[in-house]
Amino acid sequence: MKEMTCIVCPNGCSLKVEKKDGVWEVSGNQCKRGEAFAVEEMTHPMRTICSTVRTIFAGVPVIPVRVSAEIPKERIFDVMNQINQVTVDRICGTGEPVIENVLGLGVDVIVTSDILKGYENAESVS
Amino acid sequence: MNVNVLQKKLHKHFGESVSVRIENRCIIVSGHLDSWDKIVAACSMCVNKKPGMHVVNDIRLDGVTIPEMRIPDVKDDSLDKKKPDVLIIGGGISGASIARELSKWKLDILLVDKEADLAVQASGRNDGEVHPGVDLNRGSLKQHYVLKGNRMFGRVCKELSVPFDRCGQYVGFTGKWMYPLIWAYVWQRRHICKVKDTRILKRDELFRREPNLNPEFQFAIFNPSAGCVCPYGLTIAYGENAVENGAKVSLNTAVLGMEVKNAKIRSVTTNRGTVYPKIVINAAGVFAEDVAKMAGDRFYSIHPRKGTNSILDKKSGSLVKGIASIKTLNQNTKHTKGGGILHTVHDNLLVGPNAVETYEKENFATEQGSIDAVFEKQKLTAGALSKRDIITYFTGVRPATFEEDFVIEKGRRTKNLIHCAGIQSPGLTTAPAVALDIEKMVVKELSKSRKVERNRDFQPVRKAAPVLNRLSDEERNRLIQENPNYGEIVCRCEEISKGEILDALKSPIPVPTIDGIKKRVRPGMGRCQGGFCMPLVTKIISEYEQIPEEKVRKAGAGSEILLRETKPGKGEAVS
Amino acid sequence: MKTYDVIVIGGGPAGLAAAVSADKKGASVFLIEREARLGGILKQCIHDGFGLIRFGEKLSGPEYVERFIKEFREREIDHSLLTFVTEMKRTDGGFVLKAVNRRGVQEYCAKALVLATGCRERTAKQVQIHGTRPAGIMTAGTAQHFVNLQGKMPAGKCVILGSGDIGLIMARRLTLEGAEVLGVYEVKPTPSGLTRNIVQCLDDYGIPLHLSHTVTRVFGEQRLTAVEVAEVDSNMKPVEATKKRVACDSLILSVGLIPENEMAEKLGVRLDARTKGPVCDNRFMTETEGVFSCGNALHVNDLVDYVSESGELAGAAAAEFTRRGADTVTKQGKNSRAVSVELKPDTSLQYLVPQKLTLSDELKQVVFYFRSREVLSAGTLVFLLNGKEIFHKKYRNLKPPEMERLELDLSTFKIEKDSRIEIAIRKEGDI
Repeated sequence: MKEMTCIVCPNGCSLKVEKKDGVWEVSGNQCKRGEAFAVEEMTHPMRTICSTVRTIFAGVPVIPVRVSAEIPKERIFDVMNQINQVTVDRICGTGEPVIENVLGLGVDVIVTSDILKGYENAESVS
Repeated sequence: MNVNVLQKKLHKHFGESVSVRIENRCIIVSGHLDSWDKIVAACSMCVNKKPGMHVVNDIRLDGVTIPEMRIPDVKDDSLDKKKPDVLIIGGGISGASIARELSKWKLDILLVDKEADLAVQASGRNDGEVHPGVDLNRGSLKQHYVLKGNRMFGRVCKELSVPFDRCGQYVGFTGKWMYPLIWAYVWQRRHICKVKDTRILKRDELFRREPNLNPEFQFAIFNPSAGCVCPYGLTIAYGENAVENGAKVSLNTAVLGMEVKNAKIRSVTTNRGTVYPKIVINAAGVFAEDVAKMAGDRFYSIHPRKGTNSILDKKSGSLVKGIASIKTLNQNTKHTKGGGILHTVHDNLLVGPNAVETYEKENFATEQGSIDAVFEKQKLTAGALSKRDIITYFTGVRPATFEEDFVIEKGRRTKNLIHCAGIQSPGLTTAPAVALDIEKMVVKELSKSRKVERNRDFQPVRKAAPVLNRLSDEERNRLIQENPNYGEIVCRCEEISKGEILDALKSPIPVPTIDGIKKRVRPGMGRCQGGFCMPLVTKIISEYEQIPEEKVRKAGAGSEILLRETKPGKGEAVS
Repeated sequence: MKTYDVIVIGGGPAGLAAAVSADKKGASVFLIEREARLGGILKQCIHDGFGLIRFGEKLSGPEYVERFIKEFREREIDHSLLTFVTEMKRTDGGFVLKAVNRRGVQEYCAKALVLATGCRERTAKQVQIHGTRPAGIMTAGTAQHFVNLQGKMPAGKCVILGSGDIGLIMARRLTLEGAEVLGVYEVKPTPSGLTRNIVQCLDDYGIPLHLSHTVTRVFGEQRLTAVEVAEVDSNMKPVEATKKRVACDSLILSVGLIPENEMAEKLGVRLDARTKGPVCDNRFMTETEGVFSCGNALHVNDLVDYVSESGELAGAAAAEFTRRGADTVTKQGKNSRAVSVELKPDTSLQYLVPQKLTLSDELKQVVFYFRSREVLSAGTLVFLLNGKEIFHKKYRNLKPPEMERLELDLSTFKIEKDSRIEIAIRKEGDI
């Protein structure tokens, strides 16, 4: 049996998960989403990660990125490794991928800020 | 003085393990004891009031290795084979003021300090009070210089462009019955000790001036000549003015040894090469005894005494307008002032300091107990004082001699040495006056072998950078038009602009570190303690110095703020 | 001198929302931001989880705030960046502000002010950390600035003091960037941050959380070399026998946020000792007429969605205030226009915002924010009017770190100027 805290909503139910006759049994949840969360945590936990990638622009040395959808928890550091290889050398903005289909996981690493677009403007102002 | 009587007294109190002897006007106490407090007590017991007699402490502390002086990591030959006329050891208020006064003469002056900035030790870690001298008795060097020094402050601070506020000092008394006693005391101070400004304030006037003091105060001793100054600001200003007038300052430079021949210092070894000075000034603070020993001229001892001060948010600044403290008659020790409450020139309140004997000359660690004790006492001065308003605290170590007086004299055995030692409180107040006397001593000594000429280009007024938030709107606007960096606020708590930070980086003694900038223009001194501005200051330093941000340091070598870039270089994957 | 209806101070999520909503109400609006870019602290909050309530999406901080910046720019609202307010003064018809920027000393005039100045972090000194003063000690927000905006690592092997959300977020962030986070120490017996952050930021990465523990001392002359940690007793005093040294090169602090109200205080705005923000009414107006407060300057929020909401409400109310300003001012001479009633939350609430209700026709839908003082698995929030219950709502899992929001239509209740309104949280079984 495993105990965990549900993070689907702010209620934070304390869940208990147990495998009985090949079926996951969840208790302590107040809703269906909690059950699904617990089973996913036991079978293939998924997470989002956010980080930054390096740029060639002096005023904005890094820009924020995240994965476009959840990735398997055990691949977090593999994906980080890929993120760390990237250098952005063009003006790009929110939603644009800097890595497509990262490690074949079917998920992109996308930019989450338009700061570089503003950077162009800011440079011309000052 | 009867050594045998003294010896008996020592044995009675401390057992057979300590002994005393007198040699060359020195009272040498030796042996071993198991606590530092006992060593201080034993040496203090041997103090003789006869002028020029000093206690030298040779008592070993059982089971303890006294920490060695910390030496900077830097090693180069930037000073090697230099032959300055005057070598000043120590960049505190003493060394810096002496350098400035000597720069009135055509002399090659070199000031060295082992720290990464001026005023890092005692001069940067005190309360900044300009003392009226009311608590000192006649006959001491301290008393002689404090009256002279105090009077000089207005002019010196004006010349050096350092904020100074003669805000007055109030010592409150709760017992009406003490009035006749204090009246007599004040009379004696005025007429015998020549502290001419001192007087008694009646209750009404006291509360008109300082309405938030303890309502039980019946009267107070008032000294309008007391004031406050930023102690490291003044030290740096003295140093900068010295440099503007031709003196040289070498930081991160520690004196490691000396070659003494025929009662003369021939050479001084540092981590940056060997220098050959004509005359050496020992202004080494807690290490003055160590320097004296290197020079073969050790005739006094330093017992370090640390004190902690707290700085309160400016919001509480209106609580006390000047300097206030309480005097109760059950005060148990003569050195423990228990501190006071001081309204600083930057409009914070400063509370402290206390006094604790220590054998660690460079232990600046703070303890909650010290702050608690000081607040407990000072809440009797002003009840609304609250520890919640504390934004920072710091500890300093006073370089006290056992005589509790200054040592300002030529070397006794070593001829080309001048001691400026034992400069504890009120050393900040006395510095301007002491520096003038040391200037005379140096010029007289050097004149024996050559003609010492005036520096005709001497400029007593320091070129200070503007402090924007102290200017009128018109003036501030004008400066921003000239230099827009003055309009870009970097430190929100203290309202410091990028332009002012850049000024500090271009100043005569630039110290391009977070602490160096903080001391000069104050970003990080406010209530957020640099939380917001420290990354910005780091960036400004990195851009100005053209070094990566990872090389920007808080203070000395090894104090880099940042460790690396988050993203490794191309191809270097993190594992 | 430029004159506006509403001047908003602060261009973070609260200020942007306030400016946009005041603009929508037809007021002339000016926004002053001290940094070079709009967005406030969200610029550096690159983690996701923002906007769940408002947009039903898990956005990163920049994504969230840039949606507001976009709207702000589309509405062409007048503003000034890198501009720092140095002085605020009340005048007959409103307020005069002085500010500095790279162009010089500026003066602006407004009928109403919205203070959206955010909050700052408590420092090491404010939690009485003693010892030496080496490099390597900084607040979580400062570390976040270095890592996320400047791309620099301030920590290698680090200890985090305080389990506030930024501390938890930074524990994960630093770990992802290759630092070793040795543990998070929290002086209280319960975590300060949101549960989901404990799970996703600590548990996921095997970072231990030490409750009822604190850092008592730091060591190291140039760079931090170690910290001393200790367990605390029920009075939060460190237990001598439990003290031990943990070798590390950095100490990151997440020991609380304090609303920034130095400007408000200069205007004489009264602060609530519980929120450390201004006392305000249902319109988010402080006790200084014409001065409104919102976002983290009003009280420290844990979700940005509510920061934006309070900004919108305050901005709209400020616009409304300036619209009515003229007639209220003339009336004021004769009799006081606004009567307000103080709300009286009992000790079961850590705080309640707003703290007062201003009685007028506008008093209909009122948004309340509150925090429970204790962790309660179940509790009921109760409003009492003159001792009689007029409203209650049941809650599951009330926790001090998780703020609750409640919207209530007060128009149906007969609230009068001498009404006594008490608010309490009853534990399950109390009712």
